[in-house]
Amino acid sequence: MAKSHRFAGVGSDALSPGSALIALCAVVSGVAVLLMPIKREPGLELWMFSPEHKQFYPDAAERWREQTGTRVNIRLFGIPALKRRMMGGFFAGVETADLIEGERQMVGAAFAGPVESIGFLDLTERIESEGLHERINPASFTPWMSRGRYFGLPHDVHPVLLGYRADIVEAAGIDMSRIETWEDFRRELAPLMADNDGDGSPDRYLLSFWESQEDNLEVLLLQGGGSMFDAEGRCTLASETNVDVLAEIISWCVGDDRFCIEINEWTSTGHAEKIDGLAIGYLMPDWMCGIWLTQIPQLAGKVKLMPLPAFEPGGRRTSVRGGSMMGIPKTSDNIEDAWAFAKELYLSRDLARRLFETTGIVTPVTELWDDPVFDEPQAYFSDQATGRLYIQQAPDVPARYASPYYRNAQLALRSAATSVAELARSRGLSSPDELRPLAAAALAAEQRSIDALLDRNAFLAESSP
Amino acid sequence: MSASGTRPARTAAVFLLPFFLVFGVFTVYPLILSAILAVQQTHGPEYATFVGIDNFAALARDADFHKAVRNTIVYTLGSVFIQLPLALGLAMLLNRPGLTGRGVYRLIFFSPQLMGLVFVAMLAALVFESRTGMLNIALDRTIGRVIDPGTLLFWIPALENIDWPAFPWLQTFIMPMLIIASLWMYVGYNMVYFLAALQNIDRSLIEASAVDGAGPLTRFWHVTLPAIRPVGSFVVLLSVIGSLQLFELPYIILEQSGGPQNRGLTIVMYLYQSGFESGDLGYASAIGWVLALMLIVLALGQIWIMRREDR
Repeated sequence: MAKSHRFAGVGSDALSPGSALIALCAVVSGVAVLLMPIKREPGLELWMFSPEHKQFYPDAAERWREQTGTRVNIRLFGIPALKRRMMGGFFAGVETADLIEGERQMVGAAFAGPVESIGFLDLTERIESEGLHERINPASFTPWMSRGRYFGLPHDVHPVLLGYRADIVEAAGIDMSRIETWEDFRRELAPLMADNDGDGSPDRYLLSFWESQEDNLEVLLLQGGGSMFDAEGRCTLASETNVDVLAEIISWCVGDDRFCIEINEWTSTGHAEKIDGLAIGYLMPDWMCGIWLTQIPQLAGKVKLMPLPAFEPGGRRTSVRGGSMMGIPKTSDNIEDAWAFAKELYLSRDLARRLFETTGIVTPVTELWDDPVFDEPQAYFSDQATGRLYIQQAPDVPARYASPYYRNAQLALRSAATSVAELARSRGLSSPDELRPLAAAALAAEQRSIDALLDRNAFLAESSP
Repeated sequence: MSASGTRPARTAAVFLLPFFLVFGVFTVYPLILSAILAVQQTHGPEYATFVGIDNFAALARDADFHKAVRNTIVYTLGSVFIQLPLALGLAMLLNRPGLTGRGVYRLIFFSPQLMGLVFVAMLAALVFESRTGMLNIALDRTIGRVIDPGTLLFWIPALENIDWPAFPWLQTFIMPMLIIASLWMYVGYNMVYFLAALQNIDRSLIEASAVDGAGPLTRFWHVTLPAIRPVGSFVVLLSVIGSLQLFELPYIILEQSGGPQNRGLTIVMYLYQSGFESGDLGYASAIGWVLALMLIVLALGQIWIMRREDR
């Protein structure tokens, strides 16, 4: 009885030593958390997602500190973590960073609400008054605009070229300069698809591309003149151009004459297949060059770049994939310092050179395109001047328009593509003409789902220009 | 009231206060808030507009939500009708008298739980890859090349036309792939429950039924199964609730999407996408309430069935 009575009261003699210790810890830690000041390091706070960019930003930050006395604290996050922190800060209206280097898929989420709710500072006046919209490649701005306003300074252009296994092609005596269209590409490289090992399937395929690769689907859609959203933010998935392009590119993946194969772009197994030469051609944005250089050194000297074959003679020879921007959260206490550092990072000649040397990425600042660094031969790419090749195509990069539902549309495009491909395989269809009605139906269904999202968003409708 | 009567009451109140505080802040308040959110369209907490039952009406028309519900139900059925019988079968094997190394087997079957779902999902993504995945390579080298249909008792002709190395688990057969991947994770886990239940069966009952001439199947059906029914019901309920909340496995394997044509989209994934990727907490709350309703109906249904059987 006496033992149970000890737990009946709350007096000092009623708690066991263990309970008292737990209670003490709770009280002390609670008070400590409440009173502990949230210490922020002095200077600018920069949040970023790219380990490749992080390779040379610390040096730039150090030079900035020497020039201006302002320190820049750089923090690297994974994209999902950065997106959650950014959106959490924007939703709650609390301080995040002074600068956020955002990627296309994450920044769109900030544009879903009323225009006044966008957590990034509206940079329109600054960009126009300082003439930046004339110094930077126009297509680089559009992913960072919402309702006609600029919310970010573009970091890149990201043109896409065709990377190909020059060693295999040249050993077969094929002249790639004769290729202007995808039809030429298929015809000229067809001998490489021979079945020499007699296993009933080609030893090599001509292009690493598959209906389930949403990024590459978008690359080809944009190259063919298609789009997912227009400048007003309306979904355009079911446009006639998209139907034509989708029917064409799915015909590359189905039937006995298919010349594409799915090779994982990121895994070691995918890299092993690239080394083995399972595919000849690859859709290569400029940033992919840097990744191949570090992750697949075995291909050094065996790869070359050329403009993408066009969908028709005289058509566009490039496309675009990925993209980053620098935005300034409205809650920053150092907006002017942040703006000055963003311009230093993205507009200076020295850093544009380092960006290219470190990552293979071409600056969007057109006045810097004459820099000799872009003419330097790259040993990995069989001594081609890859910078110049990308810059030659940069002005022709198609515009992409921002939407909070960009990722939804990208996945909807993938759903349409897989649906068309599977129907084609089950019905034995393979020509673009046969696939066109399937593509039209699939894209129309997917557009309806995106339209439903847009219609349900009362905030977008309220603040449309 | 005497002093001795009020003191325990006051003491109880003091001890209950932290619980009510935590329960109020972390359960009751979010529940009320989510009910309010479900009738609003939101962009973060600051921008909200009242939409009445529009979110629920939109859900009724939303093809993606319907697909998420269908997928979740398929996965749940797969869990209950494939995973649990396998778990019970394994438990019965390990419960055989005289089995040596029972503890080692139990550890081996249970070990995926120790690794965690994220790790299992990341490995599964590699195992199910087309052409380079271990499973497709194994299928190609067995069904695809080695097994001669002429030597088998029965054969499904359609299997001959399958390109096993390129079998599209991650594109076309996503739900079967998720069910198989979850077997790896949960069969051993459920096996432990069943094994504990089997070990508690009075062996004299089984021996008596054997003496009376009952064969293995009869003994299983009339002695073993009724004896483990309470544990079985509990495992089924846990499995159903867990399956309806499926999120991490497809989220990781399918790289943060529902997969091609949303074939791997589940209700909780759709809730997450709506609330935390599209930023519409109102719509996500409506999804949450529909899911809660489904769970309540299922739990009540199971309680009703158990009570009816007890009578």
